Amino acid sequence: MDAFVELAILVALLATGFFVGSAIERRHYASIRAREARYADVLAFGFRFPADRVTPQRAFLVTGTVVVSADYFKSFVAGLRNLFGGRLRAYETLLERARREALLRLKEDARRRGARMVVCVRFETTSITAGWAPSIEVFAYGTALIPERADRAA
Amino acid sequence: MRLENRRPAEGINASHENPLAEFAWLVAGSLALLGAVVAAIALAAEWIAPRLPYRYEARLAARFDPVPAPKSDEARRVQAELQALADRLAARMALPEGMTVRVGYREEGIVNAYATLGGRTVFFRGLLSRLDSEDALAMVMAHELAHLKLRHPAAALGRGAAVGIVLSAISADLGRAAAGALGQAGLVTLFAFSREQERAADAEALRVLAAEYGHVGGAIDLFDAFARLPAAQRDDHVPAIEFVRTHPLTAHRVAAAVEWAGANGVAVDGARRPLPAAIAAVRPREERAS
Repeated sequence: MDAFVELAILVALLATGFFVGSAIERRHYASIRAREARYADVLAFGFRFPADRVTPQRAFLVTGTVVVSADYFKSFVAGLRNLFGGRLRAYETLLERARREALLRLKEDARRRGARMVVCVRFETTSITAGWAPSIEVFAYGTALIPERADRAA
Repeated sequence: MRLENRRPAEGINASHENPLAEFAWLVAGSLALLGAVVAAIALAAEWIAPRLPYRYEARLAARFDPVPAPKSDEARRVQAELQALADRLAARMALPEGMTVRVGYREEGIVNAYATLGGRTVFFRGLLSRLDSEDALAMVMAHELAHLKLRHPAAALGRGAAVGIVLSAISADLGRAAAGALGQAGLVTLFAFSREQERAADAEALRVLAAEYGHVGGAIDLFDAFARLPAAQRDDHVPAIEFVRTHPLTAHRVAAAVEWAGANGVAVDGARRPLPAAIAAVRPREERAS
């Protein structure tokens, strides 16, 4: 009897995780794609120095950070996946969403402060796992640049 | 240098296929793995348990007592006669070192007898009332003693305990359910022995029967008595027929008995001995009661 209750709770958690988690993921992806189009004018690069090293630039740090959690379904699938090995698809989408979201927030930060160019963009990840569902923070930071003279802008 | 940012590529770093297919494969794989592990551990435990010295089984069995003290004088006499028969047959078997056979008698209508941990066996009134000769009774007794000799209750306990432990690693409740089924019902009453174990017990019982009576007529009588049981009692959901249900088909057992007798040069038929007085008196009472 207790085993049945336990099984029913497990199935309920899995179903909730799957349906709610999938809906949230779909919405998040839609929002990410829409905002990526909107922030297309803010350019972000990985190289350390500005391409244009002649024009004087105002430079400052911009950041974007996001914390996401896996749902029960994802953690369950990942747990089983740990038995057999292989591609952890459940977490790939989670982390991709987190990285794209962090970059978007960085761009938002840059644009609010008048910059259209961010260089030396880096990502950091921190696991803040507690309990059964792993959560991670993805932190993006970079150096925003604003040309001092408008006529020499890149 | 022309600087531009393109949209992130989709479907490279993360796949957007339906995760349910992956889920189904993983669950099926895990369950298959679990099943294989449980089966392997159960088989191993079933193999090891009877090979442990009997004193460990005796110590475990001391914690419970499935052999009730007889309530009436009549039951006391029946029990004493059963015990005497058991002692006589046990002398012809090489029982494990330190095992003393104790026979219990329960005044219940179930057509059954069972062997359990600690060299104990229990007979029900329903079974005694259906037997015509001591030979037939001796066949049941020798069969149960053979289970004890071959340590089948220990094997069943080992298997059950191992499965319980493995399952409790997955879910405490699941393990408790398995252990509970074992601890309550399993230990005290009926272990499910495999067909293989039943056949082994039959073979040993035939040997003892032939040695004691000079023929295996008792086995034929016993299987005939089972075959005569009303169909209602032969139905699987009626507990009355446990003894028959978990055993090989009656017809096969008769054939096996005849074949064994032929192979060993033992007579199939011979003079039957009458049932001991108190056991013989069970039958009319049972018929009056029903």
